[in-house]
Amino acid sequence: MSTALLEMTGVRKRYGGVQALDGASLTAVRGEVHALLGPNGSGKSTLDKTLAGTVVPDSGEIRIDGAVARIGGPRDAHALGVAAVYQQLSIVGDLTVTQNVVLGLEPARRWGFLDHRAARDRAGAALERFAAAFSGRLPLDRPAGSLGPGELQIVEVAKALARGPRILVLDEATASLHKEQVEVLFEVVGELRAAGVLVLFTSHRLDEVFALCDRATVLRNGRTAGTVELADTDEAELVGLMVGDVPHRAPRRAPATTGAPAPTEAFVGAGPEARPGAEAEAEAVPGAEARAGAEARPGAEAVPGARLEVRGLTTERLRDVGFTARAGEVLGLGGLQGQGQSELLLALFGAARVSAGEALLDGRPLPLTSPVRAARAGVALVPGDRGRQGMFATRPIQENLSLASMRRRARAGLALGAAAERSAARSMVERLRIKLGSLADPVSTLSGGNQQKVVIGKWLLDRPRVVLLDDPTKGVDVAAKEEIYAIVRGLADDGAVVILNSSDNRELAELSDRVLVLFEGAVVEELSGAAITEGRLVAGALRLAPGESL
Amino acid sequence: MSAPTVEAPRRVLAWRPGPVALAGAIAVALVIAGELLSPGFAGYGQLVNLMRVAAFLGVIAIGQTIVIIAGGGGVDLSVGKVATFAAIIGSRVMAGDDAGIVPAVALALLVSAGIGLVNGLCVTLLRIPPFVMTLGMIGVVQGLILAYTGGQASGRAAPALTSLVNGRVVGDLPGLLFLWLLLGLLAVWLLRRTTFGWNLFAVGANRTAAELTGVRVNRTLIVAYVLSATFAGLGGILLLGYTESVFLDLADQYMLPSVAAVVIGGTLLAGGIGGYAGTAVGAIVLTVLQGLLTTLDIGGAGRTVVNGIVLLVLLSLYGRQRRLRS
Repeated sequence: MSTALLEMTGVRKRYGGVQALDGASLTAVRGEVHALLGPNGSGKSTLDKTLAGTVVPDSGEIRIDGAVARIGGPRDAHALGVAAVYQQLSIVGDLTVTQNVVLGLEPARRWGFLDHRAARDRAGAALERFAAAFSGRLPLDRPAGSLGPGELQIVEVAKALARGPRILVLDEATASLHKEQVEVLFEVVGELRAAGVLVLFTSHRLDEVFALCDRATVLRNGRTAGTVELADTDEAELVGLMVGDVPHRAPRRAPATTGAPAPTEAFVGAGPEARPGAEAEAEAVPGAEARAGAEARPGAEAVPGARLEVRGLTTERLRDVGFTARAGEVLGLGGLQGQGQSELLLALFGAARVSAGEALLDGRPLPLTSPVRAARAGVALVPGDRGRQGMFATRPIQENLSLASMRRRARAGLALGAAAERSAARSMVERLRIKLGSLADPVSTLSGGNQQKVVIGKWLLDRPRVVLLDDPTKGVDVAAKEEIYAIVRGLADDGAVVILNSSDNRELAELSDRVLVLFEGAVVEELSGAAITEGRLVAGALRLAPGESL
Repeated sequence: MSAPTVEAPRRVLAWRPGPVALAGAIAVALVIAGELLSPGFAGYGQLVNLMRVAAFLGVIAIGQTIVIIAGGGGVDLSVGKVATFAAIIGSRVMAGDDAGIVPAVALALLVSAGIGLVNGLCVTLLRIPPFVMTLGMIGVVQGLILAYTGGQASGRAAPALTSLVNGRVVGDLPGLLFLWLLLGLLAVWLLRRTTFGWNLFAVGANRTAAELTGVRVNRTLIVAYVLSATFAGLGGILLLGYTESVFLDLADQYMLPSVAAVVIGGTLLAGGIGGYAGTAVGAIVLTVLQGLLTTLDIGGAGRTVVNGIVLLVLLSLYGRQRRLRS
């Protein structure tokens, strides 16, 4: 192979408290299909983005064809011959396919008038090679919004190709494609390889990586763990590189007892000062109700001891998901992110369109039709995007904490007592050790970890029976992370079912009693107890047979 | 996301006058300017008169405040027309007779609430933008008014209503001002001390998060529009008590001032931030400004221009405030 077309060395990028890239490097040559692999949070997307100019690294060097490349934005990347395709599309639905493909490089005639014929020709040329994916007829004049998801993804790839790149980044570009469309894409990638283009390929489907790529660079914790020739590498070796050599097994708490354990005092660091509201909060033990409920449902093949049963849950992004969970159990959701974990949590909260399936909570049907009904049934959701879905940034901490449960304290469901709300909020602030100036401050004045505690805390005043946590420690500093872990354990000890999605495999291993590994919307593996190791989680995420990972 | 140790309260350092205080200061400045330019402007009787005029706007703007706090482009442009309609219904049903007050007011408010209900249902269930919906509702209500009156308003305010609104109670203050105070306190309580109010702010601040917290978002919005139309109807009834007889565009001109009063009072058009105290001050600012311009004998065109300029200046000041705070 000739000299490197692309050389990235010592690339670092920090987001707040998270070091996404910590000196990653990558070397690839002309006419190569190079895979970029790594577990969640290893930094592969960030590395892709530094190359495409959508993320500017804190430090590091990128050389293209031996010359130092300064990439300060997507335009710089284009000028250097880099084009990127992501799973999140940059297609404008109201424009035609032609307009989308030539967007930003519209051919112009004199005086700045658009040359529609040239635009159409150019788009046609870019899409030509994908004709098979559109069953022969190119939808050049159709509005892009009328295409299916796979077709849109193809248009996105064509858009990148219309820029005549030397380096093409395909980041999960196959995720929404049908099998035949993938084959068409692979053929095109083959042509590009023959033409000397470097293709950087990221996919959660390891079989695609082996089928298409020549070499692979594996990232781990923001660093490059190694680059391998795929022809003489097996899957186990890749997983080994992704996980590292240390057979890590985090210390875990004792497994929760079945049934309903008594509410322990061992909540977050049961400090002597953290008590006043707790006694007042102690109401009926939820577990008692649980058993009564299970008996109340006649003829059901209710799993004994199960608090939550989910059967055949199917949505746009979930396929036939079923599981049961006991009271006091922490059920982890693993796999690469974006495989339906968030969707599952939203579906259980009634916030996703469920096309089939049912859920039983304590033996009674759990309505999956609206968040209001889910919340009333005792389900709590801590969503993945705190700013957009979880908190009311401009509103006081007091209101953020009261909102989910105030109905219960209000007179006639309407009149709120200032003192009652304050003491309810105070009890939560003490219990979760939220560090704040005043309850009247907007919640946006808090640090990320304390904001997250507020979002969790709003549910705890209501003693939820099922707590759904979507990556609750994302973007949270280490100290707050530990405190959130303690909260999660405390919830389980109080008898709630905790379902925890996490992009951090170590976190899953540390907190979960069992882990369901999701792949493309389906549960592909269940790990429990001592089997929950980072290695098994990574192997499961990549759909390797259990034996191969060790 | 900073480390948890840096969250010392920094409010003491960062204290700056909020929009309410700022608007209040402007109202006072306008009164002083009026007194200097035209002695007697700040006389007791004159001030009471200004407050009385402000009261109608203040009552109609209660509902406007609620709808704007709900966010999502929430606004109710039909308040003026609804107030007119309520006055027309009230006048015709009570027909100058005290015995007719209760059914008249009840019917007027019921019809108003019904109009608000239609607004709310269309905005939430049919997802019609509030601006378009309530603008369209103006036409609908205008049609209803013509159908109801046949183009000729009839009836008269009952004497009891007139004396409630105009009659002097304490310190020579008309009853209207006490009614405004009462309704204002009700509005403040509703926004700050009820589940509805907190839900409303939550919906305005972040609709997605409100849904994912189990707030009944649509119901909250519908109630907001019902309240908006109801308070508008109430404003119309009070106006009827003041003018004693009605005409077909009695309260129409309150549409834009009601929005302006809310904005001057510091309620964010984007929703989620604000309150009624500010709106009340905003109504006073607008009224004093009008009074001042009238006293200075500035023509209608000039008044409109000055009104617009004042609004722009205030809004840019508030924008600056917010930037300084964040």
